[in-house]
Amino acid sequence: MVFYDFKKRENNGYTIIVGCGRLGANLANALSDGGEKVLIIDISGDSFRKLSPSFGGLAVVGDAAEIHVLSDAEIKKASAVVAVTNNDNINILVAQIAKELFNVAHVIARLYDPERECVYHELGIDTICPAVLSAKEIDKILKIQEKEGYAV
Amino acid sequence: MKTRVIIIGGFNKTKSLAKSLIKKGYRVTAINKDQDKCKALAEIEKLTVFIGDGTKPFVLKDANAYNADIAIALTEQDADNLVICELCKKKFHVKKTVALISDPKKTEFFYRMGIDSVVCAITAIANIIEQQAFLDEMATLVPIGEGRISIAEVPIAATAPVVDKKLWEINLPKEVIIGCVLRGERSMVPRGDTRILAGDILVLISSDKQEVAAIKELTGR
Repeated sequence: MVFYDFKKRENNGYTIIVGCGRLGANLANALSDGGEKVLIIDISGDSFRKLSPSFGGLAVVGDAAEIHVLSDAEIKKASAVVAVTNNDNINILVAQIAKELFNVAHVIARLYDPERECVYHELGIDTICPAVLSAKEIDKILKIQEKEGYAV
Repeated sequence: MKTRVIIIGGFNKTKSLAKSLIKKGYRVTAINKDQDKCKALAEIEKLTVFIGDGTKPFVLKDANAYNADIAIALTEQDADNLVICELCKKKFHVKKTVALISDPKKTEFFYRMGIDSVVCAITAIANIIEQQAFLDEMATLVPIGEGRISIAEVPIAATAPVVDKKLWEINLPKEVIIGCVLRGERSMVPRGDTRILAGDILVLISSDKQEVAAIKELTGR
């Protein structure tokens, strides 16, 4: 598993993950395996089939864009909120609610569109953009291959 | 220079808003995702229409958001409207942003995020229905400043208890003033010794939701 680093983290954290897609479910499984308290929210109950059978956290069906769903999830106690639905704007909304209304310490939003990233960086929301990350990674791999090419 | 307004999303609301703004001399641009809706919007004279997702920065840029004075987000999704207004404000430095929201609980949060004006359709409609249902003695009631202040038009029937009384004799709530008296073709700004006659229409300015008490006092109902 790629996520073994999580095990080293303090065990008193409580993470809320919004969106149970591939990324959300993987992250939830990894955090739960690492002994952290995890709550995952998705608008559709079907999505939770992606969670592993050993997942030990809570799974809540609801629209995380509604403030009461988040407060019911005890977002105030959360040490981190990760917004990874497939809708950039929902992720932004959830992240901003978490940051501004509930003062969550770590807020991360996944944004597919790198153009929007710059605006939300200023607001103290960590954004992750798959396209940018992939581009960097590919670049890195190509550079390594280039170097190896010269060595040979 | 003409005030430039950019309206994002919405269809029926955009249509009537655009027509009314163009009539008043604004330069209006509309952005809509749906091609058919764009075609229908393009039939409005002088309206510039762009097709695209208004939550994407490049679409806003194409629609010349940098030069806009007012941005109005009318999509169905609260999240989209938030993003549109934030992009307009922070990236394109639009002076005033207006967002429509469907969830009344998020109104305060939207203001906190720096949106200049948040319009909640549900609250607005509920307020209007309440006024229409309970205050049929009022011809019109215009809420101002998020409904904190309202201007009401109150016709005075011959049976009203205030007929033939001077203004200072009427025991109005503290938060209410009579701003204007419409008498036939004339309108006048009343003073303490102005006498109210049957058939007058009073224009009330009230805050703190005092208009109901004031209207009861004036009309006796």
